Amino acid sequence: MAFDDPDTLEGRERRALETLVTRLADDQFVLAERYTEWQVRAPTLESDLALANNAQDELGHARLWYDVLEDIGLDEQDLVYERDPDDFRHSTLVERPFEEGDWADVVLRSYFYDAAEAVRLAALEDSAHPKIADRVGKIRSEEEYHLEHAQNWLERLADGESEGGDEDGHERLQNALDRLFPHALTLFEPVDPEREADIVELGLRDATLEELGEEWLSIVLPYLESLGLVVPVDIDEDDPEFTVTDDLLPDERGRDGTHTDAWYDLYDEFTHTYRELERSEPTKLMDTPQ
Amino acid sequence: MDLDTVKERAGPREFSPADDLPEEYREAATRMIEFHANSEIMGAYLERPFIRHAPSIDRKLAFSAKVQDEIGHGQLLYRAAESLGIKTREEMLDDLANGDGKFLNCFHYPMDSWVETPMIAFFVDGAAMRRQATLRRTSWEPYAHAMDKVCFEEGFHVKHGEDILRTLMTGSRKEQKLTQAAFETWWPRIIQFFGPTDDQSTHHDFAAAVGLKQKSNDELRNAFLDQYIPKARKYGLEIPDEPRIRERDDGTYEVVEDDLDWDEFFAIAKNEYEPGVGQIEGRRAAQEAVEWVRETIDDDATTADGHAPQAAD
Repeated sequence: MAFDDPDTLEGRERRALETLVTRLADDQFVLAERYTEWQVRAPTLESDLALANNAQDELGHARLWYDVLEDIGLDEQDLVYERDPDDFRHSTLVERPFEEGDWADVVLRSYFYDAAEAVRLAALEDSAHPKIADRVGKIRSEEEYHLEHAQNWLERLADGESEGGDEDGHERLQNALDRLFPHALTLFEPVDPEREADIVELGLRDATLEELGEEWLSIVLPYLESLGLVVPVDIDEDDPEFTVTDDLLPDERGRDGTHTDAWYDLYDEFTHTYRELERSEPTKLMDTPQ
Repeated sequence: MDLDTVKERAGPREFSPADDLPEEYREAATRMIEFHANSEIMGAYLERPFIRHAPSIDRKLAFSAKVQDEIGHGQLLYRAAESLGIKTREEMLDDLANGDGKFLNCFHYPMDSWVETPMIAFFVDGAAMRRQATLRRTSWEPYAHAMDKVCFEEGFHVKHGEDILRTLMTGSRKEQKLTQAAFETWWPRIIQFFGPTDDQSTHHDFAAAVGLKQKSNDELRNAFLDQYIPKARKYGLEIPDEPRIRERDDGTYEVVEDDLDWDEFFAIAKNEYEPGVGQIEGRRAAQEAVEWVRETIDDDATTADGHAPQAAD
């Protein structure tokens, strides 16, 4: 078998590839969909432009990943516009709706996501699939920007105190953290344990989900604590290895096909025109995404 | 500088913040640029939902980029307006939120369906392009400078709008019918984009005399009709019977003004037309919801971000 010749892939390889790439692409697509809600609604014109930029980067990345699956016969209509909403495999972190004006949520959500993205892209750099390894470089450089952007905002909000005794930035961040952290943990949940094991065994990615999750926690926990935020987990100093237990996770985990209600509403909205106009294929403007 | 000198010297890119300009000039220029900046913001407000509704990832990306560009144009234009020393950006944005800021008639109407998107992105943006191209020769240099960049990007928007229109008009019968219906709804508004005929226009004389405005409403409307009637027909759209448009012997067009709803137009001009009022208030509510962020970050809006995105200057 060789991933540079998609026609030779056997069922097991194909399924592993599809599982890996769908996770990546769905996360980026749905995250971008949520980010665009802030266009024309961000706190300043400058922050509006910056978040729009990130949304377009994420959409571009989603397109790059979905395109990898075109080699095994899956097109945009199969993967997005005509896929059953229950078949999407994104983490519930990216599908959660925003409360109007909850800038703390989008900033923290970006941070959780971008930190995870950095960790998982690093584990794809030497992927056995040449197209994946190739695309990681471009995506990583843009994601580094996003992480920096999220951290700049986190630090400003965590420091900020409001005039007039309203809820301050710090409190809003803590509320967002309490709400989002369980969903962030689903970033490292399996789609299907067997396929996840295949992804590593076949060399598509060189670290397991557990390893990625641990690395992520070792980055985000101290950072958030340094901002004075409380992360709702107990870490044993003597045994810092942290295990994600069921009671930390939300009921819906995204990866396994279970989603929160907000996802179905979002799905209806983004497929609305496609259905209304009775389209049978999405309009492609670029033959090969860049 | 007195007003007579201004009128004498008035020419393309003649005046800059280094000049000591009379209040009348600075106020007229502020009013004009602020209107333009507000229109960019309210246009973006109207189009944003279609980022989500776009029927493909490529279209979604293009729509997001377009909305982002419009906000970038707003940012540039507020800066050009601010440099006249009459109003700060914050005052202009506050006025837009509280219903005192004025903006283009077309952005007071609701937009509910994808088939309406080329009405803005092709026809309204095309109309705006006509006007903006002439404003590269306006006498307020920062405004003319902003127009260089705005025109460059608007060119892409019009192509994006044209491509959506082409796709719709070569799609199913249903798509074509819906698009024609949307065109019929929007066409009179698009004609009114250029305002009343010259003999009815209130601000034109002064703005033209000091070189702020380069072409009259009639000239711009003519140029637009000349270019866009054939384009509309090319894509299979039928021009509605009303307003009646007569082609004169010299190739210019006469629009029968009585066929257009001027009561509606002037209600819009006063920000008194529903659903425009709803759109103004929707934007205000969204801005109020993030007031806490502006307070928290110690209100230095111009340095409020980490890195400059592509579409900002």
